Amino acid sequence: MSITLLGINHRSAPLNIRERLSISCGEEEKTLAQLKDIPHAGEVMYLSTCNRFEVLVNTKSGDAIEEDLKAFIISQGNLSPEEMGKCLYLYRDEDAVRHLFRVASSLDSMIMGEPQILGQVKDAYRLCVRQKTSGVILNRLLHHAFSVAKRVRTETSIANNAVSVSYAAVKLAKKIFGELDRKTVLLVGAGEMAQLAAKHLMDNGVNRIIFSNRTYGNAVKLANDFHGFPVEFELLEEKLGDVDIVISSTGSSDCIISVDMVATALRRRKNRLMFLIDVAVPRDIDPAAGKIDNVYLYNINDLQGVVDENMEGRLNEAKKAEAIIDEEVARFSGWFAALEVVPTIVELKNKTEGIVKGEMEKSHSWMKDLDGEQNENIKILVNSIVNKILHDPVVGLKKEGRNGEAGPYLAVVKKLFRLE
Amino acid sequence: MEMMFFRMSLVAYFVSTAGYIISISVGRVRVAKVSMWAFSLAFALHSIYVVIQWIGAESVPSADIYGSLSFIAWAVSGAYLAFQTKTKTRVLGAFVSPAVLVMMIAASAGLVDGASIPSAMRGDWVPVHVVLLLTGGALFALACLAGMMYLLQDNLIKGKNVSGFSGLLPSLQDLDRINHICIVWGFPLLTFGIIAGSIWARTIWGNSWHWDPKLIFTAISWLIYAILIHQRIAMGWKGRKAALLSIIAFAGLLFTFVGVNIIFVTMHNF
Repeated sequence: MSITLLGINHRSAPLNIRERLSISCGEEEKTLAQLKDIPHAGEVMYLSTCNRFEVLVNTKSGDAIEEDLKAFIISQGNLSPEEMGKCLYLYRDEDAVRHLFRVASSLDSMIMGEPQILGQVKDAYRLCVRQKTSGVILNRLLHHAFSVAKRVRTETSIANNAVSVSYAAVKLAKKIFGELDRKTVLLVGAGEMAQLAAKHLMDNGVNRIIFSNRTYGNAVKLANDFHGFPVEFELLEEKLGDVDIVISSTGSSDCIISVDMVATALRRRKNRLMFLIDVAVPRDIDPAAGKIDNVYLYNINDLQGVVDENMEGRLNEAKKAEAIIDEEVARFSGWFAALEVVPTIVELKNKTEGIVKGEMEKSHSWMKDLDGEQNENIKILVNSIVNKILHDPVVGLKKEGRNGEAGPYLAVVKKLFRLE
Repeated sequence: MEMMFFRMSLVAYFVSTAGYIISISVGRVRVAKVSMWAFSLAFALHSIYVVIQWIGAESVPSADIYGSLSFIAWAVSGAYLAFQTKTKTRVLGAFVSPAVLVMMIAASAGLVDGASIPSAMRGDWVPVHVVLLLTGGALFALACLAGMMYLLQDNLIKGKNVSGFSGLLPSLQDLDRINHICIVWGFPLLTFGIIAGSIWARTIWGNSWHWDPKLIFTAISWLIYAILIHQRIAMGWKGRKAALLSIIAFAGLLFTFVGVNIIFVTMHNF
């Protein structure tokens, strides 16, 4: 019995190869069925995301299956064996377990700590369960992977800090306002990053968003896309007093929001806090506005600085996460290694049960004279003697199994008891 | 007998403070949750102490500076726990818990079982006066703590230094709201507490107002809070300035409460 993991990811393969391996919607079940059809495949699962394609199998046939798995991946992606050879990685047993744990915990992700990957692994596993391609080992392995991912998430702060500019803006808004529902956002200009930040803010509770653009038509178009309200560029100054968050990203060569405009707006809104985000280069908002009390101004460099610091923090947290994973891999390996001794123990018990049964039958001639209770008592006595004798050897085998050193003992037990 | 509960609550406050400090330094929310339960336990034990002592003393919950400190610590804890259930600002506990612990340690220096009470403090208006003022003081203490946290968070955000400690502090708006609520509720308590005191003063000193240092400083503190409330409600003061003034006002109140008795000779020496 061995666990094998074969795959490519964003580090091992260029985008054009990953693209070809992405499984199109609706094809998932067919792909899994093809994988399952590989001879001696045993338990199978595959994971396909935009950054990786991996197959995970538990097989009884050992290394022999590796070539078939490679052929499977090559045919999926319509690749040449040379291309594939450069990109594929292969992990066995403990290394495969570690890799899976790292993937589920988002340590292997392109953006370390991103939360989507765990959901993707769960989806892949759910498909396996539905298609009944997983068994005892994969079920245990995947559930263990989910609990490791949860442990990493709660015991390290790997996913706590924003590592994209637009998400950093959302985090900052929350630091200032707490809850974002009932907040109003004003988007000036139509820069891509500003739109992304606006989308993130709306996902986090903002439900009123105003668009302003030198070309009014663009503002109307964006307002339609985001279910917001357009406003004429000339009314910008007036509107400034009604909004809590401003995201500016125009191509203007000089400031379009001056200190005076901000100060007036603040007076009009009775000093309620304002968060100004300037993602334009050159800047749209006079930097001096950030010096006003209750006004918080971040430009693109500030946000990038926050992101860089957070990324550094994540790398530190990753070390803690790796330690957790080492610990969990050892735990799983212990369980997995102990499985090796199970068939022998079962055979041993079957053999002794057979002996007991045979001897009881031989004694039937005189035992039939005893009453029911005496018969029962004899059975209990015999069984408990057998169990007592087997107890120490069985416990010993399990212990050696957990240490991965059961091999010689299994051979001796099989030989002495003539199991086979 | 009541001192046993006092000491037990002191220990629990210590545990919760240690827990909060650990949770801040290792950045784990789970430790803070445990600290919160330790803090709640401490408050429960402390409440038992307050009740027993109140019944035992027959009228006044706090006869001297030590008793007052203990009572303020109790009121601060209760007010904080009430906030804790309404807002999710668990980290406020990391500031409240040490403050309460310090007050409790100071109080423990002079608290004894069945303390006697000076004759000027036996009267129907005294418990009203004391309880109103101490509860008001406790709310102002919370306002001051929230104000300090506000200034800290404000500095971190303005200084673009947001990836570390700032994440453990509540949002600016929440802190401002806590500060506001505490002051709006604390002010009437302070006002009625002073009125109750002056009614009692008329009974025992024959006059409701004396040019006594303690009374003068009380008036000054009251005035600062009155200005703060006016600025907040009428002038729309929010955030930094309000936080700063609430800290200054509390410093004034604290001086009135403790400092005056040490520096000046006052007839109101309790």
